[in-house]
Amino acid sequence: MALRNAILRHLRVPVQTLGLNQSQIGFLGSIRSFSSHDDHLSREAVVDRVLDVVKSFPKVDPSKVTPEVHFQNDLGLDSLDTVEIVMAIEEEFKLEIPDKEADKIDSCTLAIEYVYNHPMSS
Amino acid sequence: MSGVSTAAYFARRAAQKERVRILYRRALKDTLNWAVHRHIFYRDASDLREKFNANQDVEDIDRIDKLIAHGESEYNKWRHPDPYIVPWAPGGSKFCRNPTPPAGIEIVYNYGLEDNP
Repeated sequence: MALRNAILRHLRVPVQTLGLNQSQIGFLGSIRSFSSHDDHLSREAVVDRVLDVVKSFPKVDPSKVTPEVHFQNDLGLDSLDTVEIVMAIEEEFKLEIPDKEADKIDSCTLAIEYVYNHPMSS
Repeated sequence: MSGVSTAAYFARRAAQKERVRILYRRALKDTLNWAVHRHIFYRDASDLREKFNANQDVEDIDRIDKLIAHGESEYNKWRHPDPYIVPWAPGGSKFCRNPTPPAGIEIVYNYGLEDNP
């Protein structure tokens, strides 16, 4: 028993309490490698996809679409068309936007900001 | 009515417009819930849009209120019993499934010495 303890004391690796930050992980990979919460989109990807959604809207002229367009002022859309575009963006990024927030999204800039800052957009 | 344009009138019209937008949004989502296939959904969505467009030039405030109330009752009648909600949103299947554990809680492994610490 004492021999076992002596050997184990030799072999024991001192346990470090947490502090396993990203630089020490090495071959283990990300600390939450099975979670789906750490793959945030890059800003260019968000901009590209939002512009694609807006351009494929039938009532929109694709050449006028820039990342700063206002749906009603610049593209000449109706408020109901804005609702449809917001729904299309929700479907594209698998989001669920509450009604009050969705009402405020009026332009491409707001849409891109909202999607980029949303933690669950994919 | 001589079309009195006070701030209260505009506030009321703005509130009505917001109600209409929210109603259209919910009705569109409901249409998608009922008509799962895309070609049926497009047809039903354009019918819904026609219904909204038919009344878009009404100027009388009380008539607008009645139309909105009528639309909301229609929406309540046609609500889907099992709507599609994004999984992580409230009402979805993944909501509150894996909350992040509180900070500061950790497991310390005491290899080989669990029996005699």
